[in-house]
Amino acid sequence: MSAWLIQQSQALRLVLSRFRHNLLSTAFISLAIAVSLALPVIVYLILDSFSGVTTTLKSESNINIFLEPNIDNTVRDSIHNILASHTTIESFTFVPKEKALEQLAQTTANQNILAGLDHNPLPDAFFIQLSTLDSQSISALTEQLRTIDGVAEVQIDNAWLKRLNYLLTIGKKAMFVLVILLGFAVFAVIGNTIRMQILTQQEEIEVSQLIGATKSFIRRPFLYAGAAYGMIGGLFALLISSGVILLFNQSISALASEYQTKFSLHLPDFNVFLTTCLIAMIIGLLSAYLAVSKSLFKSIN
Amino acid sequence: MIVLDNVTKRYPSSQEALSNASLTIEQGEMVYVTGHSGAGKSTLLKMIAAIERPTSGTVLINNQNVSKLRPSALPYIRRKFGLVFQDHKLLYDRNCYHNVALPLSINGITGEDAGKRIRAALDKVGLLNKEKAMPITLSGGEQQRLAIARAVVSRPAILIADEPTGNLDKNYADDILDLFNAFQQVGATVIIATHDALGAARKQHKIFHLDHGRLTQPEASA
Repeated sequence: MSAWLIQQSQALRLVLSRFRHNLLSTAFISLAIAVSLALPVIVYLILDSFSGVTTTLKSESNINIFLEPNIDNTVRDSIHNILASHTTIESFTFVPKEKALEQLAQTTANQNILAGLDHNPLPDAFFIQLSTLDSQSISALTEQLRTIDGVAEVQIDNAWLKRLNYLLTIGKKAMFVLVILLGFAVFAVIGNTIRMQILTQQEEIEVSQLIGATKSFIRRPFLYAGAAYGMIGGLFALLISSGVILLFNQSISALASEYQTKFSLHLPDFNVFLTTCLIAMIIGLLSAYLAVSKSLFKSIN
Repeated sequence: MIVLDNVTKRYPSSQEALSNASLTIEQGEMVYVTGHSGAGKSTLLKMIAAIERPTSGTVLINNQNVSKLRPSALPYIRRKFGLVFQDHKLLYDRNCYHNVALPLSINGITGEDAGKRIRAALDKVGLLNKEKAMPITLSGGEQQRLAIARAVVSRPAILIADEPTGNLDKNYADDILDLFNAFQQVGATVIIATHDALGAARKQHKIFHLDHGRLTQPEASA
């Protein structure tokens, strides 16, 4: 084993034995970190679950094509054929302008308005149901539809989807703010913990320096401790957020089934696991480094 | 070989703790540094052990100029020394075994190899049966011997002891001095600071006497 590896394993074993000897305080500190981390994780999972909804519901979004007025039947039939052959189109219906006018005239309020018109102002229209979720192929399709002869206007009916997306964007910003603020909280908790540990080990540090310990030798266990607090806190945070989500999911699924849909919040997946633990570890490491540099080498030169 | 040339140490807002001290200690020698309390003995030892840097003058350890070393190189110089501190500086949160283990772990020596050396050091000072005991349960003499075990466990070429017999009664003190003699006989350089000039004189070794930070020339005692 190289000297470097020996040093690392030495520091790691020291940290683990310190944790083992102070199991209760380690657990409490990790829990405090975990609570701070769990909040943004839960918010993320909620947002992630809802952006899942926006992609599934895109399939239910419609494209409406309005044709130019007074086109002849051959053009209309050729458009019909193009739509029929398109794979991204699930189904479509054709509504001729006469029928649209009839539908419009079914309400009395409209009847009065329509009575004042001398001709039918409505165009022929195709209402298209899409079979794809992919927004790129949807916009490709719209572009293509716009170029067809006889098509006056292509309308994508997804206004509510836009609203949901705006809400999600706001949610994401809120999460970002949470991550920053609670990241500072974790930073402070770990930093203070490390400072306390430095205080309790002041004698050992002093003696070690007197008999030839390098700064990095003294610093190393504290850095490991900071990273370990972060990691353990991250793991606890995932447990907490999973628990919270499971607790809510029953009621949420029940509510969703009342609307004839299936919806539940996602549990943390591997990416969430990795990101949470990594970020927590990095915060712990930085915080420990700062604490050690600030308070360790003040007294002894 | 340890050479001090015109070494002066002045602490902020106080008079000189050490003034123009020059001395030479050969390898394998055993020397005493004597003087009343506050005469600068501890300061002199700290200069030698590279714990503090001189305000002026040079300190050479095996021809390395300590005063000119980068701070990051100092720890490695310090490892050449085994230090017995005036106040022991034992760690009371761990047992005897782990106290002695500290210098080895600083040197990256762990595991079985370390275990053997720790027990050998404890054996040398007669504390092998106390390896699991906590230092606080030891008597004053035993604590002093534990501090010595920690100082010698990494087999330093130079052993420095600050008032090693300070608070001990005569029997214990003789035991400790015998220990230092034994280390010198196996080739270590031994430097002992003591206010007990009589005890030092009896041992027939080179003596550096300090008086208010000034060194008087070594005298070979009769």
